[in-house]
Amino acid sequence: MPESAVGTEKDREITFAQAVREALAEEMRRDSTVCIMGEDVAEAGTPFKVLSGLLEEFGKDRVIDTPISEAGFTGLAVGAAMTGMRPVVDIMFGDFITLTMDQMVNQAAKVHYMSGGKWKVPMVMRTTLGATRRSAAQHSQSLHAWFCHVPGLKVILPSTPYDAKGLLKAAIRDDNPVVFFEDKMMYKMKGNVPAGDYTVPLGLADIKRTGEDISLIATSSMVQVALGAATMLEEIGISAEVVDPRTMWPLDEKTLIESAKKTSRAIILDEGYERYGVTAELASVIATGAFYDLDAPVKRMGAMHVPIPFSPPLEDVTVPTEQTVFEAARKMCGK
Amino acid sequence: MKMKMMKKKSSPVNERAAKVSQGDNGNSPLQRESSNGDYRGNLVRDLRLEKPSFKVLQIRDGEKVRYEVESADLEAPVPAIRESKYLRREHCIEIYRWMLLNRRMETALENLHKQGKVVGGVYFGLGQEGCSCASAYALGKDDWMGPMIRNQGALLVRGFRAADIMMQYMAKAGSPTKGRDTTSHFGDLERRNVVAPISMLGDLVPVLTGVALGARLQGKNIAVMTWIGDGGQSTGVTYEGINFASVQKLGLVLVIESNLWAYSTPSDMQYGVKDLADRAIGYGIPGVIVDGTDAMQVYDACHEACERARRGEGATLIEAKMMRMKGHAIHDGADYVPKPMFEYWKRRDPILRMENYLIKEKKWLSSADHEKLIAEVEKQLEAEREIAVNSPMPTPESAAGGVYCDESCHQIKPRYAMPKDRMLGQNEKQVGLKQSEAPVHFK
Repeated sequence: MPESAVGTEKDREITFAQAVREALAEEMRRDSTVCIMGEDVAEAGTPFKVLSGLLEEFGKDRVIDTPISEAGFTGLAVGAAMTGMRPVVDIMFGDFITLTMDQMVNQAAKVHYMSGGKWKVPMVMRTTLGATRRSAAQHSQSLHAWFCHVPGLKVILPSTPYDAKGLLKAAIRDDNPVVFFEDKMMYKMKGNVPAGDYTVPLGLADIKRTGEDISLIATSSMVQVALGAATMLEEIGISAEVVDPRTMWPLDEKTLIESAKKTSRAIILDEGYERYGVTAELASVIATGAFYDLDAPVKRMGAMHVPIPFSPPLEDVTVPTEQTVFEAARKMCGK
Repeated sequence: MKMKMMKKKSSPVNERAAKVSQGDNGNSPLQRESSNGDYRGNLVRDLRLEKPSFKVLQIRDGEKVRYEVESADLEAPVPAIRESKYLRREHCIEIYRWMLLNRRMETALENLHKQGKVVGGVYFGLGQEGCSCASAYALGKDDWMGPMIRNQGALLVRGFRAADIMMQYMAKAGSPTKGRDTTSHFGDLERRNVVAPISMLGDLVPVLTGVALGARLQGKNIAVMTWIGDGGQSTGVTYEGINFASVQKLGLVLVIESNLWAYSTPSDMQYGVKDLADRAIGYGIPGVIVDGTDAMQVYDACHEACERARRGEGATLIEAKMMRMKGHAIHDGADYVPKPMFEYWKRRDPILRMENYLIKEKKWLSSADHEKLIAEVEKQLEAEREIAVNSPMPTPESAAGGVYCDESCHQIKPRYAMPKDRMLGQNEKQVGLKQSEAPVHFK
C-alpha cells in the first residue's frame, strides 16, 4: 500500500466497481458542484451497474441521463465546468471516445493554455478499456494512448480497487480535464479499500511487487497479468518487480527508471496497441534514463495490430497473457 | 488584468429591457399548441417585412464552373425598418454606434493587414453588423455568449475594447490570450461571461448549453447566446446541443446567421429546407425568422428569446437572413458570388438602413450629431489602434508552461451560487448505495 494512503477506517474488501461508486458518492457528498452526466447513468446506473444508488441519493439534477449524444454531452460538460461545476462524464465504452475527441482535444485540453491561463475546465471523463469480453472490435479497444498524446489532459489507469477510489477522488478534485480509464473486466475484482476519505496523488507510480532480476512495467489490466507472470517466474528462480505507473500523465519517470536500473531488464505491458502506443513512450523513458544499467533492450508488449476480433480463440491471442509475458521474461533473463 | 470593466452606459441589462417592454401578448413564440392542437404553424414566426427568395445554380461554362442566381426579387425596393417593440431612441442610437464601431474597426484591421502588421488573415462581418450587435445587445449582465468569428461586433457590445481584438489579430503579448490564440478567439469567464469561439463549427452549441446547465444547477436560469452560420449548422453537434437544450428546457438562444455562402458553397448546396428556422419544429422549440440587416427585428427576436430563457422556458432558434458581403476571409475575393446578389444586399446595408431610419425617418439623430458620432468612433479607434500597435510581441520563452493549472493559479468557484446539495436531513432519505454486482457480461 502506498505511503500516500491514509485510511480512516478499518480496511475492508470491496470490488473495483464499488470502489469507483464510493469515490463518486463521497465526492458528491463533499462537494455539491460535482455532477454526473452520460447515457443511462441515472436509473440504470450504467449497464455495468457502477453507478447504482447514486440517483437515489443525489437526484436527477446531479445524476443526469443525457440523450445519446457523446459529443454533445462532453461539450456540455466543458460548458458546465466553465461555470465552476465539476462534471464527471460517463462514456460507457472507451471505443466511443472517438465521438468526443473534438470536445476533449480541441476544447477541454486547450482552454487553459489558449486563454492565457485564465480559464479552467475541471472535468473528469470516466470510460472503459480492455479486451477479452467477447464484444468485438467496437467495444473492446484500449485507446488511452490517444489522450496521452494531447497536452492539457491528464490520463489515469487504475489497476486495483484501492487505486481506483483514491485516484478518482484526486481526479475530481483536480482543476484540469482528466480522463479515467477503467478496465471493464476488472469491475468484479475485489481488493482492500479503506472506507473513509483518501486520495492517491496523480503522478506517483506504485511498486506492486518488488523483485531483483527484471522489471515488469504494467498498466491497468496488465498489472494482474504481470503479477501472475511474476508468480510463474518465481518458480523458475526469476525475481520480477511489477511497477504500475498508475497515471500516464503526469508520469512518474523516476520510479520507472530506478526500477529498471535496479533489475537491469524491463518489459513494458499495456493493453493498447503496441505500435505507436503507451509502451513506446514508457520504453523510451527507460531506455533514456537507465541506458547504462540495462543488460537487454527494453521489450514492449501490447495489443496485436488488428481490430479486436470477436471469436474467443481469435481474441485471446491479441493481448498479452501471463503465459506470453512469462516466456518473454524468461527469454530476456536467459533461462 | 488589462481589460476594462464593461462601460456602464453600454452595458445591456435586463432591467432596461424589462422597463421598456410593452408586453408581447399573443404574438410570442411561447405557446406550443394552438387551440386546434396543431403547433406547427405557431412554432415558427416570421418578422420580416420582405421575403426574398434566391436560387443559386451551378453552371458549367466550357471548362469553368460558375454560379448564377435566379430570383424575382432582385430589383425589389428596400423595405422600412420594423419598429421595435422594446427599444427607445437612445438604445437605437447606441446599437447604431456599436455597428459603426464594428465596421470601422474591421476597416482598421484591413489596413493593419495591408501594412503587414496582422499575423494570418482577417475575418469580416461586413453586412452582418446589425445582427451581431443587436443580438448581443439583448443579453443581460448574467447571461452568457459564445461568439463565432464574424461576431466581432458582439465582443464590442459585451465590453471588450477594439484594441483587444486588434492585438489578437497582431498576436501581441498584450492580447487577452497573450498571443496564444488567434483573431476573435478569446473571451472572459469572470465578468463578461464570454466563451471564446471554437473553430469546429457547431461545437459552441453544446458548450453554451452546458453553461446554462451549470447555471441552473446553481439555481439560476440564464440566457446563453451563440451564433452559427447556415453552413456550420449542418454539423451533428449542433443538433446534439439544441436537442439537449430542448429536452432540459435550457435557455439557449441560437442565432443562425443565414448569410447565403459557406465559404464558396451556396446555401442551396448546404441544406434542403426552405428556411432553417423550420428546423425548430424538429427540435421542439420555437423558431423565428428575421431580416438580419434590420437590427430592430434582430433585437426584438433576441430579446424575447432571452426573456423566455430567463423564465426557464427553454431554447429558441432565430434565423437571421442576410448576406456575407466579403469573402470567407481577406484572402478570398468571393468571385464565385453572382454580382446581382451583392447588389441586392448592398442596398440593404444594415448601417445604411439604420442611418436612414435614425436620421430621415425618426429624426432621432441630426446630420451634425451623426457626423459627431462618426468622429468619436474614429477617434476612439485611432487611440485603440495605437495601444494595439505598441503592444510588444510575446517572448519565445512564454510558449512553454501553463498547459496544466495548479492550485496556485486561481481558485475555481461556482459562478452563481453553490448548488443546493441533496444532503441528509432535508427531504431526502438516506439511501445506502446499492451493492449490486457489476456485470462483466450483460445477461
